[in-house]
Amino acid sequence: MRSLPQPLPIPATFDKSSSMWVDEAIWGHRLYDEQSPWMVLLEFLNVFYYEVEKGRGFVEANGLNTLTYKAARRLYLRNILFNNPHLGEIRVRFPHDANRWEQWLERMSSATGLHHPQFAYLKGRFDSFDDFSEVVSLVRSTSLEVNSNKRWTSKFVFPYGQNCLYEDLDNNASTNDRRFFGRTGEILYLMLSRAKRRQELLAALRQSLSKTDSTWDSVIRCLQPSEEEDLSSERANAFLPYAEHPCFDQLAEDWLAILRLNIPGFDVLPHLVNLAGLHLVKYQLSVSRELLGLSAMPIFVCEVVAPKKTLVREISADGYQENNFLPSRAVEAYISAIESSAQWQQALHDHGAFEKCRQLLSERVRWDDYEGPSDPEQLLLAFKQAAMKRHRQHVANIHRNYGRDIGLVSKRGTIKLRYAPNDSLLKTLLFANVERRVELHRFLEKLFQRYGLLFGDKEAGQVLAQGDFDKKAFQANSRRFEQRLDSLGVLKRLSDSCAYVINPYRERMP
Amino acid sequence: MTDSKWLQFLRHYGPIPRNDNMYDETIQRSARRQKIAPIEFEHPMQDLLLRCFDQRTVDPVSVILTGTAGDGKTHLCRRVWTRLNGDEKAWASDSAYLTLAFRYPKDRKEWPTSNDEELYRQVNIHFIRDLSGWAPQQGGEWEPEKEALLQKFCHSLVNPDANELFLIAANDGQLIESWRRLQQTEEVQRARQLFEDLLVEDRQERSGVRLKFFNLSRADSADLFDRALDAFLNHPGWDELRNLSAGENELFGSRCPIRHNFEILQGALVRSRLRSLLELCDRNGLHVPIRQILILLTNAVLGHTDCKDGLMTAADVPKVIAAGTISKASLFSNVFGGNLPENRRLGITIFDYLERFQIGHETSNRVDNLLIFGEQDDHLSHYFEALVAQDGFYGADPRFYAAKQEYIEGSDEGSDSQTFLDLLVAQRRGLYFKIPREWEEELNLWELTVFKFAGEYLAEVVQPLLKGVAVKRMILARLIRGLNRVFTGMLINADRELFLATSGNNSQAKVSRILLERVSVDPNKGERIALHRDPSNGSILLSVFFTPAIHEDFHLTLIRYEFLSRIALEGALPASFSKECYEDLLAYKSQLVAGLLRRQEKDGVVVGGSSVRLNFLALTEQGMPDPKFVEVAV
Repeated sequence: MRSLPQPLPIPATFDKSSSMWVDEAIWGHRLYDEQSPWMVLLEFLNVFYYEVEKGRGFVEANGLNTLTYKAARRLYLRNILFNNPHLGEIRVRFPHDANRWEQWLERMSSATGLHHPQFAYLKGRFDSFDDFSEVVSLVRSTSLEVNSNKRWTSKFVFPYGQNCLYEDLDNNASTNDRRFFGRTGEILYLMLSRAKRRQELLAALRQSLSKTDSTWDSVIRCLQPSEEEDLSSERANAFLPYAEHPCFDQLAEDWLAILRLNIPGFDVLPHLVNLAGLHLVKYQLSVSRELLGLSAMPIFVCEVVAPKKTLVREISADGYQENNFLPSRAVEAYISAIESSAQWQQALHDHGAFEKCRQLLSERVRWDDYEGPSDPEQLLLAFKQAAMKRHRQHVANIHRNYGRDIGLVSKRGTIKLRYAPNDSLLKTLLFANVERRVELHRFLEKLFQRYGLLFGDKEAGQVLAQGDFDKKAFQANSRRFEQRLDSLGVLKRLSDSCAYVINPYRERMP
Repeated sequence: MTDSKWLQFLRHYGPIPRNDNMYDETIQRSARRQKIAPIEFEHPMQDLLLRCFDQRTVDPVSVILTGTAGDGKTHLCRRVWTRLNGDEKAWASDSAYLTLAFRYPKDRKEWPTSNDEELYRQVNIHFIRDLSGWAPQQGGEWEPEKEALLQKFCHSLVNPDANELFLIAANDGQLIESWRRLQQTEEVQRARQLFEDLLVEDRQERSGVRLKFFNLSRADSADLFDRALDAFLNHPGWDELRNLSAGENELFGSRCPIRHNFEILQGALVRSRLRSLLELCDRNGLHVPIRQILILLTNAVLGHTDCKDGLMTAADVPKVIAAGTISKASLFSNVFGGNLPENRRLGITIFDYLERFQIGHETSNRVDNLLIFGEQDDHLSHYFEALVAQDGFYGADPRFYAAKQEYIEGSDEGSDSQTFLDLLVAQRRGLYFKIPREWEEELNLWELTVFKFAGEYLAEVVQPLLKGVAVKRMILARLIRGLNRVFTGMLINADRELFLATSGNNSQAKVSRILLERVSVDPNKGERIALHRDPSNGSILLSVFFTPAIHEDFHLTLIRYEFLSRIALEGALPASFSKECYEDLLAYKSQLVAGLLRRQEKDGVVVGGSSVRLNFLALTEQGMPDPKFVEVAV
């Protein structure tokens, strides 16, 4: 049982948008449930490119938790792509190319977020309005969130290259209201900056990003004016409480493993996204467990979806509920620790106890929002209620939301949520953990040791109490796992229950 | 007669519940006791194997025989033993390990003509005829002498001076597992790595290593079937029954189902249809071991739904005839294990494989019309007469006619329509074996199976390529159209070129509108697309050549052929027939894109410059490709 490393102190100046500092102290500022793993990656890339350009990729030059960066806004591009319902109508109503441009430019003169919008530069870039429309249509078809009913400022171009990146903005396209870029991408960046193999990862990321086909990045640059890009104001105040943690190292290792394979083009990105999501969930649960004094590794009993209800499904659903509850329990434990701390106890017995306690809370957790009776117990109770309420609004949902987004958690075939990894996640795990080929049972072992993902009876026997599990049910689960891998084309079955898991993308030749 | 020695013996080969590890011993022991020769034939790899050890080699190396249970490993070991003058009695013992000495030319160049001992070297050949019986139990440790022997084996793999050779018979998994439990010296680890490579990559040897690897699972199932069937039908054991000169209702009389099944099995058409099924199993990557073929044949002849273990004994025959349940002994159903309860049937490999063809359950309007209304129908009555009515054993019997009547008239609900539907399944299975070659096309024989294009696959793709003849243009064109539809995600009709398209950001996207390249099917500037046969393992390959030196191959199994044909001809959606095939094809597309990039690199194609050119793919109303070029000034 490992204990948490010493958490870093609250920053002197911190984001005034935080009404207290509890979740942040435990996991960082911040893990945000409405920021999906793809959004996390996009935010991360914004930070990454900026820092690399400044020559300090994955280096916290001014000390820990001092990250400041600027992001692009690219409002011309975004207006064209996502705030522009005119193309179809214009093509139908106006047959001549010159008219079309005229009409469109007129409509776009009211584009949001720009002073004196001037879109005429586009005429010189395309042979015809038609061509322009085709390109816009194609770029839209590969964009993220394009079919959701999110505001247009929260729709994102696929990250083909640096010219595609920008930050999330509010409806007026004026500020980043942290609605969808809730800083988890910044946390991701800090995590990797503190991983042991960050130098290697930096090189691998840079190489991988530079090797992709630049066609689309160029096209997207064409949609933007040639003048200097206006960057946002400085973003700061990201906070990660630990100078090091095994979760950071594991994430870096997994990303490195993926980047080393010769996966074509942009296909790497979905895997990086899945791994980021998985490790963030694992991080939250691991830290929770450590705070509660449990062993660090969270366990995810996984069902390979079966046509009928199985025992594994039951155990998986129970395990899901247990894990889902862990972060809340951790917050409670954190608050109890404050209560039983020497300082609090002393303050209780000093005269002016209430004021002292109030002061203590203000310093420790930056909370000062109390109107009730001057009683330390009441104070603490109110604080606890406020903290739990705040936790449940967002941070408590990370496990469920990220879990669903990466394909780990699902309700498929049943009514309860439980762990049932989908094909995409299974492939990601395979690519990250199998260099060339490995025997199936060793692959299962590795999945368990590294991530706590439990599929088979051997691993179940290590964790579940004897009476609690049915060996046959887990054996059937492993067999389904084998068949699943077979249908994905990554399994070579020899006779006799001897099977090999094969990675179709061997390591890139150096 | 109360029982038949031959039938009693033959039963051992059938699908009776047994302990598989004792299979060989049981047969051999029973054979010795009854003084009947076991059913044996020459394994296609036998000569190749003997050649490794007998006087046709001057420098023998060790051999490992792998495969699944029932592939004939032990049997082949015995052949080698006998050829090298090994003692028969020693072999008859139960020992999993035996050894003999043989001499080979000392100079390793040619066999000396004289008997001078100086010209020979003595070699000890160690036979481990069953590694699983010889190795320690699960979780146990190797005994020191056995461990030493295997270490010697690992050493002999690279050491030409070794005077110890080995012939080891083992199941794949057992081989790897046993090696894992040896002391991990460098030689042991290298050996294990070698075995893994050879097994996973399906190869026989590696240069520089003194070992030949025979994987019996790679034997041609259809070839094994031919040999096994001949050995089965020509076995003298049947004489015992023929010499009975039985009466009409007795064992092997004119109404005996065992005799009738035996005679059906001798027919050329039935044989050819069965053989096709086994060949198609091979073409889907499913190998059928010899033991399974013998189960198939035995069950085909002796099977009956109501008898003990599903197999008829001599005493059962008169009872079956008297009870009027001859139709339950139908060979056509027995072939699919229809005489066995479901969970036993699915647990037996051959029936599991044959079930996948869904013969009996698949059908067409034509076939069902024939069976249900054919009697009265002008056009279909002569088919009905020839194929169903005239089959006095398994065709339309009074039970069938009665159930058919009930079904058509629809008197009441209840179990009766189910009875008829079950009988229909049996009749469809019968049709599969009875429709003569001249009627194959008009009655759409292969629509009785789930692989509608199987007949064409065998006749127009496999056969010609085996003979070295090119496949018909039309077939290749159809495959190209199927590929184009999968690669673009659109109902495109192009078949003279292969369209490599992507979606821009995801090589595995369902719809891809950005055209990267069009590869010509006919030879053109180094590009071409062709079907050919891989001589090393007989598989059919579709190869796309970007240049004569840069190409990517796709293994065209039966199921993939079916998949592409359905998409090309019927406009089926890729994900509806087989998700697996769909994924395989998208993976092939990835490979092709990589191949294209390699050619571009070689040609020195430069990306970038003052403008970007994009090829968008759209379709005309007729589904012909309508590419559109857009140029963007950067």
